[in-house]
Amino acid sequence: MSDPVIQLDGVTKAYRKGGQELVVLDDLDMEVATGEFLALMGPSGSGKSTILNLIGGLDEPDDGDVIVAGELVSALSGEALSTWRARHIGYVFQAFNLIPVLTALENVELPLLLTPLSKSARREQARYALEIVGLSDRLDHRPKQLSGGQEQRVAIARAVAMDPTILLCDEPTGDLDRDSADQVLDLLARLAAEHQKTIVMVTHDQKAADDASRILHLDKGVVQRVGR
Amino acid sequence: MNLGRLVRRQALSHPVRAFLTVGAVAVAIFLLCFLRSIVTSLDAAVTESSGRRIITASAVSLFQALPASYNEAIGAIDGVDTVSRFTWFGGVYKDPENFFAQFGTDPELLLAQYPEIVLPEEQKQAWFEDKRGAIVGIGIANKFGWEVGQTVPLKGTIYPQTGGKAWEFTIRGIYRSTRANVDEMTLYFHWPYLDESLESGDAMGPRGTSVYLIRLEDGWEGEPVAQAIDEYYAGGPQRTRTQPEAAFQADFVNMMGNLPTFLGMIGGAVLIAIFFGVVNTMTIAARERYRATGILKSLGFSNQVPLRLFLMESTMLVLGGGAIGMFLAWLSQPAMKAMFGAFIPVYHVAQDTYLAAIVTCVAVGILGGLIPGVRAARLQPVEALRRGV
Repeated sequence: MSDPVIQLDGVTKAYRKGGQELVVLDDLDMEVATGEFLALMGPSGSGKSTILNLIGGLDEPDDGDVIVAGELVSALSGEALSTWRARHIGYVFQAFNLIPVLTALENVELPLLLTPLSKSARREQARYALEIVGLSDRLDHRPKQLSGGQEQRVAIARAVAMDPTILLCDEPTGDLDRDSADQVLDLLARLAAEHQKTIVMVTHDQKAADDASRILHLDKGVVQRVGR
Repeated sequence: MNLGRLVRRQALSHPVRAFLTVGAVAVAIFLLCFLRSIVTSLDAAVTESSGRRIITASAVSLFQALPASYNEAIGAIDGVDTVSRFTWFGGVYKDPENFFAQFGTDPELLLAQYPEIVLPEEQKQAWFEDKRGAIVGIGIANKFGWEVGQTVPLKGTIYPQTGGKAWEFTIRGIYRSTRANVDEMTLYFHWPYLDESLESGDAMGPRGTSVYLIRLEDGWEGEPVAQAIDEYYAGGPQRTRTQPEAAFQADFVNMMGNLPTFLGMIGGAVLIAIFFGVVNTMTIAARERYRATGILKSLGFSNQVPLRLFLMESTMLVLGGGAIGMFLAWLSQPAMKAMFGAFIPVYHVAQDTYLAAIVTCVAVGILGGLIPGVRAARLQPVEALRRGV
């Protein structure tokens, strides 16, 4: 394996629910290499999404280190964490999470506001990202005017528009029909292969996971099995 | 694409709610402007008064007439330039609801003392020459559709004519005022005409004059002259109370009771109501935007951005409503003047009222967006995304 771009060392994470402590991740070690397409599988509550949140700095571990793109993520906070996230992380959510009042182009352009790019350069880059996902003809459509598959492709375009180091995909095909899901998976595979993006994808769908270069099966916060 | 566009779109994503919020703020700001304008319009007569004029009234009461004989004696006191008589007439034009002020005065002296009363030279001369002539303010002329040359019948209440006849005054001029201390809702006529009518028995009522308007000679302060007049009449026949014009006007305003405080309390209540309304709107908006807040944070926007967006949206809505309210306040000035002109003759929305309205809007906008904005800023991205589902 080449140098890991993501490294989880002895990570533990627990949530309190109804007075009870629920251990989601238990002393987890995990590495993801640069350019790798990793699928995380497992039953609900096995800690898959928590891993994504920890990698993206959306959540903090109770114990252990999360090192991503050379940074100890838990040591970052506030502006530094936001800036780091904008530079290194692209998110793709199951529910697409597009801003409904913005067009496809504007949604993709949104994270580019964090860059020093000019207005025209931002627009150009957003157009290019939408072209990559095959939606050049839907620039001015709002999310509700798009199909689920198209919405997810816009979300992927938004995630890659900043040219992040890592794409974190949380059930990206969970709300899609088979055809749309296949298109999205093809796209992710292409981003990994052609654009050298490191992708970590949470999925329940074995067919989706089959497109990944490695599969980790999690249960009760520990890696049960490594696939492929 | 910029954050301003996002704010605009978010604010208008619920058009009915946005319309109702903007409408409520517009009505509230209109009301604030109106209430404040009543106070400032009443105050204008005080603040714009001339320091070169003093007014002598009876020390007993404003409603007690002073003897006409005081005229010459006051005029002889050091520092007095000119003295004019000024008598409240209290006539009724057709119906008591058509109330407006009428004063008997010395025309040439009055216009010399009050250069802010402006009318064409030929109209001035025509008034000076016609003992039954009068001049009226442009406001009242417009209200009743009066023109120069027209006769205005006034039924005397303090000074009824014998046989129940109405007094008839011929309009010889229509004046404008260049300062707020003189309104455009008054009729001025010849004091000697009134006095002669009383003398001849054609009319009944108290003799004398309500007050004396005094213009000071150059270089004289009001206080020593006022003191000299009051000392001169300290032993009677009727004691006087002489005040600077501003103090006299202030007394007049105070006769209405503590109106500024009362109106201020209503204004304060209105302000609190719009504040709660805006906070309510923004809190609902914030709940609907948990997910958008989570999305922005997951994209790398700092915690300050959601706060800024809520502040911008809230301020935009309030300023939008405020602009409409201010426009309505500006637009309604003639109507308000016509409606309340008899009591607030110089009603107008002052510049500082608009400024106060803008400051109020910005403050309410910022405070209204602050509570939901701070909450959104503090929200953890994961929590925001989870709550938004």
